[in-house]
Amino acid sequence: MASMAAASTSLQARPRQVVTAVKCFSQGSRSNLSFTLRPLPTRLSVSCAAKPETVDKVCEVVKKQLSLKEGDQVTAATKFAELGADSLDTVEIVMGLEEAFDIEMEEDKAQAIETVEEAAELIEEILKAKA
Amino acid sequence: MGATKLSGMQKQVLSLYRGFLRAARSKPTEDRKRIETIVSTEFRKNSKEVDRKNFQYIEYLLRLGHKQLDQLKSPDMVSISSVKIN
Repeated sequence: MASMAAASTSLQARPRQVVTAVKCFSQGSRSNLSFTLRPLPTRLSVSCAAKPETVDKVCEVVKKQLSLKEGDQVTAATKFAELGADSLDTVEIVMGLEEAFDIEMEEDKAQAIETVEEAAELIEEILKAKA
Repeated sequence: MGATKLSGMQKQVLSLYRGFLRAARSKPTEDRKRIETIVSTEFRKNSKEVDRKNFQYIEYLLRLGHKQLDQLKSPDMVSISSVKIN
């Protein structure tokens, strides 16, 4: 029962990510590689494929790279294009992420990134392969 | 960007841009900042001014860019500058 209560709190806190994850799930094409890595109960990790810390860090880098204001909302579902980023900006964001996480992203995969969440997922995939 | 698919040429340009930013990383912070500013200004300027159908000119710019990038990659090279010729 205690875990039930905790679960509902956490779901309320991140409603957007839950919706996204449900969508991914029904498509059935996205691999949720970080399942086993998460310390939370399995039922909860469905809420978002990438760790919140990673998503937060990605948001920070994106904000810095695009010189957005503090108050600007950047969430997991935010598309780079929505923030006014062109393809050159996207390259800069990817380079910034590479430095922040100390990784190298493949060009093809990096070019396919459109949202914060996709970036976070790719980063975790790379970090996992590196570990 | 976004849902629109990039053409082969656009990919080449972005790849060159990446190459420049990578090369800039290996330079001291001061130089790096200056290089990044110049490179980014140059790419953005051309992205606005050059007609996207002018393939010959874009190919010429790509070749020129690769040559400049090779020079920038050399460890002796610490800076670049842009000169405006009218």
